[in-house]
Formats: sequence, C-alpha cells, structure tokens
Amino acid sequence: MTTPVGGSNDQFPRISTGNPQADLVLGGGLPANSINIIMGQPGTGKTVFAEQLLFSNAGPGRPIVYVSTLSEPMAKMVSYVQRFSYFDENKLGTEIQYEDIGPLLASDGPAALVPWLSALIKRVSPKIIVIDSFRAIHDLASSPPETRRMVSDLAGLLTAYDVTVLLLGEYTAADIERYPEFAVSDAIIQLARQSLGTRDERYLRVLKLRGSSYREGQHAFRITNDGIQLFPRLISPREATTYAPRLERTSTGVSGLDAMLDSGVWAGTTTLLVGPTGSGKTTMAMHFAMEGIAHKEPTLYVNFQENPAQLARTFTLLGLDMPKARENGLELMYVSPVELQIDSIVVGIFERIKDGRIRRVVVDAVGDLVTAASDTQRLHDYLYSLVQHFAVNGVTSLLTFESGISDDGSPDVAEQRFSYMADNVLAIALGGEERTRRTIRVVKTRNSGHDPVVRELEITSAGARVS
Amino acid sequence: MPEQGVSKNHRALILVVERDPHVRDLEAFFLNEAGFGVEFAADGEAALTMAREIKPEIIITEVLVPKLDGLALCRAVRKEAELKDTVVLVFSILAAQSRAREAGADAFLMKPLAEQRLVQTVRELLAERASAKAVAART
Repeated sequence: MTTPVGGSNDQFPRISTGNPQADLVLGGGLPANSINIIMGQPGTGKTVFAEQLLFSNAGPGRPIVYVSTLSEPMAKMVSYVQRFSYFDENKLGTEIQYEDIGPLLASDGPAALVPWLSALIKRVSPKIIVIDSFRAIHDLASSPPETRRMVSDLAGLLTAYDVTVLLLGEYTAADIERYPEFAVSDAIIQLARQSLGTRDERYLRVLKLRGSSYREGQHAFRITNDGIQLFPRLISPREATTYAPRLERTSTGVSGLDAMLDSGVWAGTTTLLVGPTGSGKTTMAMHFAMEGIAHKEPTLYVNFQENPAQLARTFTLLGLDMPKARENGLELMYVSPVELQIDSIVVGIFERIKDGRIRRVVVDAVGDLVTAASDTQRLHDYLYSLVQHFAVNGVTSLLTFESGISDDGSPDVAEQRFSYMADNVLAIALGGEERTRRTIRVVKTRNSGHDPVVRELEITSAGARVS
Repeated sequence: MPEQGVSKNHRALILVVERDPHVRDLEAFFLNEAGFGVEFAADGEAALTMAREIKPEIIITEVLVPKLDGLALCRAVRKEAELKDTVVLVFSILAAQSRAREAGADAFLMKPLAEQRLVQTVRELLAERASAKAVAART
C-alpha cells in the first residue's frame, strides 16, 4: 500500500498556542483541524491570545487568515498588535492576512459567511482561520434557525478541510447553552477578568477539549509586552511523597531550637513558624537560611515586605557576609503581594525549585499571601501543592505565619488552617506584663520526637537564642 | 500551470465517491485545479456502475457511503477484470487504514482534506500505475 505523502495519519495532531504554559494546560496545544471558541468579555485578552498563536504559527506555505466581522475596525487591530514583541511586520499580508467581511455580512446577512469562507479556502488554502467576533454575527440574524443553519453549514465546511479555526466572541456563560457553535466546537477556552480592590485578576479556563485531557480549573495570567504570561494552576506532584525522603537531620540555625527538635528537623520537611508581630519570626527564618548557606546549600529566601536591599542589610546585621552568601547560593526573591496574584507568586517559587537545585526555602510570611489572596481556598490548595513539591524535591522549608495574639499572649488558632500542610509546627508567644518575654514551643513534629517544654526565646541584635 | 497526472495528452479521470457536499466541492475544485477530470457518485452502488462505464484511473472513496460502503466497493472493484488497472484510494474520516489494505485498496488517507497531500498522493498512485502497466507491457 502506498504510504500517504506530505503528512501523517496522526489522529490528534496539535498546534501550539505560541505560549508554552497554555500548551501545558491544553495537554500539548489546541487540536489541529478543529473548531475552537475563545470566549470572554471585552478586554479579557482574546485577541492577544489569538494573535500570539497566529504569529507563532505563521511561516512559509499556507497562510493564516484573521477575519474581522463587525466588532472592531481592522486598522485598529493591526495598530494595536504592533505593541507586542511577537509582532512581525514581515509576516503581515503574506503569512498572516487580515480580511474584513463586516460590510458583506451587513448587506447579505450571516448566510454569506460560509460561501465566503469556501471561496477563501479555494483561493489561499489557509491553515488557520480566526473569526473575530463570531458572536457579533448573531446580531445580524433574523431568526435563531437561520443562525443554526449557518453554524451547521460552517461546521461542515470547516470539518471537511484541513484547517484550524478560532472563533472569538464576547460570550457569557449563558451563551454556551444558547448558541449552536458551542455544540460543534472541539475546544472552549474562557478568558475572564475580575476586579479585586485596585487591581484586576485575569484567568484562563478550559471548558471543553474533545479527545484530550487538560489541566482543569482557573489559571491566572497577565498581559505583558510578550503577550499572555500564564501561570498554570499548581497541582500536587504525581510521585508519592514520603515525610523523610532525605534521611538526615538538618539544623534550623538556632542550636537551642535544634535541641528541642531532637537535633533539628528532617531534611526535606516543611516547618511552620507561627507568632505574633515582633516576636522574632523573621530573625529565626534568617538563621534557618544562613544555616543552609553555611553548608553551601542553595537557599531561596522569599519575602513580601522587605526589598532585597533592606533584606541584605538585615542579614548583614546578623553577621552574614552577603557577597559570599550569594556565591554560596543565597537567592533573595522579593515580590509585592499587593501587585501580583498569588498564582504568579506561588508558581514563581515553584519555577525556582523545580529543577532540584535549591535545597532550602524560606517563605516569610505566608500571611502576606493570605492578605493578597482573593480566594483563600485557592491559596490553601496552592500552598499545599507547593509543599508537596518541596517534599518531592527534597527541599527543606520554613514558612512563617503572623498570628493574632490571644489574651494570654499565645498565638491564636489561625495557624491551624495551615498547620496540616507542615511537618513541624513551632509557636512563639509573647508574655510578661509588657508582652516582651518571648517563649517558643514545638506544637508538633512528624516522625520525630520533640521537647514539649516551653522554652525561652531571646531576640537580640546578635540574633535568636533558645534556652 | 498545474502539473498533469500521467500523460501530457491525457487528463486522468478520477471517480470520487462522497456524499458530504463540502468535501465534494473542495475535492472537485482542488483536483480540477491540479489537472484531473472528476466525476462523482454519492453511493457505492452508483459508483460501481459508473466505474464500469467510465473506467476511471482512480477511485477515491469514503468508507461511509450508502448502499455499498467504500470498503465493499473496493473489494467489488478488485473482482472486476475490467477494472484491474483502476487504483483505489480510500479517503475517510475513519481511521480505517488496515481495513482498507485488507479490502485491496492501494492507499489510504485520513480526512480532513489537505489538498497538497491529496493531489500528491493521487499523482504518485498514477505514476506507480503507469510504471506497473509499462512493466506488464514489456513482459
């Protein structure tokens, strides 16, 4: 039997979205030879998503055609796309062609679309067609049956030919049941934007992807000069985790605390350090980081309140030689939780540790993420997944959490919402009449004995001391 | 100027067995443009009758056609001495490559229609057919 020429018989070839993270969410990209709906209200990033895909897939041979219907003048679209780094003017008019069929649809109605597309296919053999906005075509239809016939005919044509189609539209969730294109589509991707105080959070969600698995849920993204920067929702690693993957004890950097913990903590475990403001959590966290650096363990120190210059000064006051510490693998990561979505922060930490190089991580403080989070459950899920990745990668971590303070000076119970994800939980309390006497106790340890006695904690300019 | 199928003086005739109007329309357009003559049948029985009559160089058939499906049509063509030189290309939405081979098809292509792939396959099949006939004529 003759081998077919010029292509394979692969049933599920994919085309890249031009965005590796979006391809990851989609299980490898959009299915080729398919009808895909990109839905979202105005300003959610549909056009950016589509254009990034177009410029990424453009090349010699069959062109890509961007068809504008009625929603936006062509000149305006071309004008805006030039702002992005993926724009390449050499591709315009040849590899990427823009067509405006607004006037045709306005005069002849929706029924004119399919014959026009059929003629387009015969004329230029496009490999990708984008129709923006497809939803706007509904406004021209005199009756729902007319639209239904047109969509059925459209699906027939586009299924017959080797072309991948993106239908963009300002659809709402209610439109999914209302409009027939959702029934014939192979993939539905929703882009959404929600306001949170003075900032907006954007999300991408796959609602349908025929014949393929995909990463479910909301994936945060932002629009940059490079297009869409997506942060796929962090999920727990597939590997089974053990609570002592590295069978060695490792120091917290505070000898008195190590003694309470039966010679430090298991390497590869997560410790939650809870205490009210001013109780010395950051100092303890810095000791933990410095201990890693002293043993040349690459250490990532994440904080949300002090920029790297401020943090370096504090480290120096504790006796750390910062240039040498950087040589030995200290990395400072500062992000403002006011400016960013928690997704980008947590995924950013994950990106830094996933290659297995980092051995120790401090996150100071988890509570700042809670303040930034629009969805606390989502934050919990993310942190839980992150901690699982720490375990799989053998990263020893310390998370600090600023608690409230109860009448007796001990931390309130807020930390219980996070303690389940930690192997070890330490609590600092402020006592005495002036609330200046610090004590520390070990609330729990997994697979390890510990000293249950409350011990004195001193915080001085020289650092922390437990006695 | 589109390249011709086999002979410069001969416009190769293709019988397309297909009932999807869009596929028919696009196949007719691209095959005509490539220099082939195209006739259509909408079901397998009509295709067999037509093939006996017009003796096409190639039959391109979908598996899913009424009355006599594309694979049964292929087997029927293989039994007809008059059609022994007719090449059968199964072009289907179904991943029926091995079934097509068992039915005696010369080639299989999966839909959707990609005109370069289709036209090139048709040209290769015609070239193979021509060389096979030439060898047969010499021996």
